[in-house]
Amino acid sequence: MRDEFRRQDFYTGLILCVVSLGVVAECWRMPRDLQGWPAYASPGVVTGLLGLGLLGMGFALTLRSVRRAGGTPFGITGADVRAYLADVGTRRLGLMLGLSVLYCLVLGRGLPYWLTTGAYLLAVMCVFQAGPWWQILLISAGTTAAVAYVFNRIFAIPLP
Amino acid sequence: MVLGPWHILVELWKLLTPLTLLYVTGSTFIGIVIGMLPGLTATMGVALLTGLTFGLPPKDAILILICVYVGAIYGGSRSAILLNIPGTPANAATCLDGFPMAQRGEAGPAIGLATTSSFLGTVFGLFCLAFFTPLLGKIALQFQSWEFFWLAIFGIIVCGNLTAPTDPLKGWIAGFVGLLVSQVGQEGIAAYPRFAFGFDQMRGGFALIPVLVGVYGIAEVLGVMRETMVPRVMTQIHKVLPRWRDLWLYRRTILRSGIIGVIIGAIPGVGEDVAAWVSYDFAKRGSKKPEEFGKGSREGLIAAETGNNACIGGAVIPVLSLAVPGSAPAAVLLGAMWLHGVRPGPLLMIEFPNYIWEVTAMFILASVAMLILGLSLVRTLVKVLMVPRPILMPIVFVLCVIGAFAIGVRIFDIWVMLAFGLLGYPMRKYNYPAAPMVLGVILGDMADVNFRRALIRTAGDPTPFFTRPISLILVAITLFVILSRSTQVRRVLAAGLARAKVALARG
Repeated sequence: MRDEFRRQDFYTGLILCVVSLGVVAECWRMPRDLQGWPAYASPGVVTGLLGLGLLGMGFALTLRSVRRAGGTPFGITGADVRAYLADVGTRRLGLMLGLSVLYCLVLGRGLPYWLTTGAYLLAVMCVFQAGPWWQILLISAGTTAAVAYVFNRIFAIPLP
Repeated sequence: MVLGPWHILVELWKLLTPLTLLYVTGSTFIGIVIGMLPGLTATMGVALLTGLTFGLPPKDAILILICVYVGAIYGGSRSAILLNIPGTPANAATCLDGFPMAQRGEAGPAIGLATTSSFLGTVFGLFCLAFFTPLLGKIALQFQSWEFFWLAIFGIIVCGNLTAPTDPLKGWIAGFVGLLVSQVGQEGIAAYPRFAFGFDQMRGGFALIPVLVGVYGIAEVLGVMRETMVPRVMTQIHKVLPRWRDLWLYRRTILRSGIIGVIIGAIPGVGEDVAAWVSYDFAKRGSKKPEEFGKGSREGLIAAETGNNACIGGAVIPVLSLAVPGSAPAAVLLGAMWLHGVRPGPLLMIEFPNYIWEVTAMFILASVAMLILGLSLVRTLVKVLMVPRPILMPIVFVLCVIGAFAIGVRIFDIWVMLAFGLLGYPMRKYNYPAAPMVLGVILGDMADVNFRRALIRTAGDPTPFFTRPISLILVAITLFVILSRSTQVRRVLAAGLARAKVALARG
């Protein structure tokens, strides 16, 4: 049976195995006589069982991807990485993600909300060529003002 | 029970104030817009609005969320018909016949039929909600810790199985990841902080809304912004009002799809997309003209839209009676109810006896607003589809940030949202459904606390987990679902059947 995500499944399975082993190990370290409760009611019981369940599923996913014939090989070559990075979609994703992370980093650090949000909207719309500059400026300013007014003043929600 | 309709009318009367009607109109419109924009789903809309309406009185906030939910599930049909892109996953089946109808110049009638069948589906679903919730609530009163634990596991397994039909393992993995996410922070018996690693913020665990906004909202924003393709909108729309003859002609399809929608809605975590597909499939099997399906069949369109909207009422039945959501948007609705101090579950009928009627009245208002807005604002709504994605998506991101921040007023929640967005994006790309994960986040605490409480009650004896009647039923169904998807088990069963046939043939 062929699988279009054979390689991804293989690595996902491995990651799940590592994470769930970490979960099980952490659960084992949790106290087993907390506040006088018996060991079977300790905080790590259910979490540990869930970790074991996920470990089994991660193992099954890895094993299945190995047993399935065809599809892409498991190894990742330099050419694969270069092709991925050269892809237009990857660049768009990276730009959006980078700008969004930067926006989240700046939020709540003393700069006014209207300034950070307005700058973020302006930057994303400019980078992705959403329209003529005056239209982008107008939309960014209008949206920032509307969001700040509606949520902060009308709905009384504090802004970051 | 007999007084149900009277109670609904009383609650409806109480809701008929100018401000409430303004909320209903505005939020249903927002819901339709969210639903019709490819990339923005009903779950994301309800999650986003949960944060944004946090400051409102509980009744108004829940009303707004219900209107957004109903509006979004319906709204997705608009882009399915005009763009051949389902606005929400619930409308994927609508594309099959809605778009061919639009291509042959029947976009107006297709929109009209989708609107009326969505309305009929919602109304059918809400009457089932009003009728069955008290009944299920009475059964749910017999549930104790053993049953609640199995109910959580049953929900995850069934949801994973149905939302990832080609690869249930990925559905179950998503569900277990959700269950583990819910384990972070202080647990419910001894308040021990699990996986906090010394960070104060982690002691409180991950708040539900930032997780949901991340998985649904941020993942979608990233996914949409990655694409370069600009969809072409069919804008020639003439007559919208449907022919009543069509609705009468397909009354059996409407009823059948309504029943299917409600039943699938009541199954934990499965949701509107599965309801639409199953309704569509049953309609095709039962049709006198199955060859027309996929080529612009009115019956196919009616079946899909009735099924997905009837599912809404069905999905809210377990929310109110068991505190177990029937779909991903219903999961957010459940979270919103908790945030506003309403405790759905078996005791709801005792603590808040009128709440079911109140919710039903809210659904009535939402479905009427959906019908009126859907049939009247056709050209205005088409213009929304033409807004370029690079303008829309950063605005959505800004709203997601406020939605995640508003509930706890913590920058930490914004980072949680972003982290789950980064998790949700590859999950979506590699076919891991988000619904079981959301269900896991909701049900994780229930599974944990009830498992341990049950063991405390029996001094460590696990036998009642497998001997109590309701537990036994839940275990049997869960095992059946798992084993039925195992290739090895199916092979053994097939071989056994073949051997039995040979033995029977030999006499």
